[in-house]
Amino acid sequence: METFEFKVADQLGTLVVLEVAGYINNEGGEVIAREARKLIDAGHRTLLLDLRATRIINSIGISLLLEVLERTLEVKGTLAFCCLTPSIAKTFQIMGLAQYTRIFPDRAVALAELSPRQ
Amino acid sequence: MITAEPVRVCLVLPRVPRAELLASRAVEEAGHRIAFPRDTLAEVKLAVVEACLNAMEYGTGEVEVEVVAHPDDAHPWIEVAVVDHGPGFDASAVPKPVLEDTIRSARKRGWGLELIRRLMDEVEITSQPGLTRIRMIRRRGGQ
Repeated sequence: METFEFKVADQLGTLVVLEVAGYINNEGGEVIAREARKLIDAGHRTLLLDLRATRIINSIGISLLLEVLERTLEVKGTLAFCCLTPSIAKTFQIMGLAQYTRIFPDRAVALAELSPRQ
Repeated sequence: MITAEPVRVCLVLPRVPRAELLASRAVEEAGHRIAFPRDTLAEVKLAVVEACLNAMEYGTGEVEVEVVAHPDDAHPWIEVAVVDHGPGFDASAVPKPVLEDTIRSARKRGWGLELIRRLMDEVEITSQPGLTRIRMIRRRGGQ
């Protein structure tokens, strides 16, 4: 669970689902920030990070997620997370991240809320 | 295997990428041996990762970690000390981060100490030039 992996799992209009696995530290966080920047520059406005296979995000990884959040807010987009472990959910709660992001218990609920309406 | 005696693990971390995970694994192993709740253990692991990152970033020389898991039947607890030999710092002068400011700031770091304080039940920091020690305690059912 500690080897970092990242992939674009799904794209629905301007919504993109990113699956992240393993330890999010400086290296993993930089991958996420770089790829998120590319997706936003390509016109995506809602990024959903599925963290079901992530057990630890350290504060350096968090700072890089905040870069993604800043960029998302600049384009009036949405940064969302789903499938957080209890410790990651608590970390986000301590930081007050729910104020600026959307947090969902699972991907199905997230997609139902975030998917572009027909 | 659940033990009736305290479990003590001492590590000297190498200065290599992801060395903090060695300390995290020590916490996990010690915690399992006293049947510490998994979700609470995950919070201790993150606090220890943060303390080790600080020690490796700001300290010099060796980073020492001591984990002691106390198997009290009703109230098991875990105690961790992280020691570095850097220049030291004034913990009371470290500002509490505010997310609204951090998002718009060029520097988005500064959450480590806040997370440690909020994830653990007790945190004691003693620091002087050459010796900084962060001692943390988390009890089952705490926080």
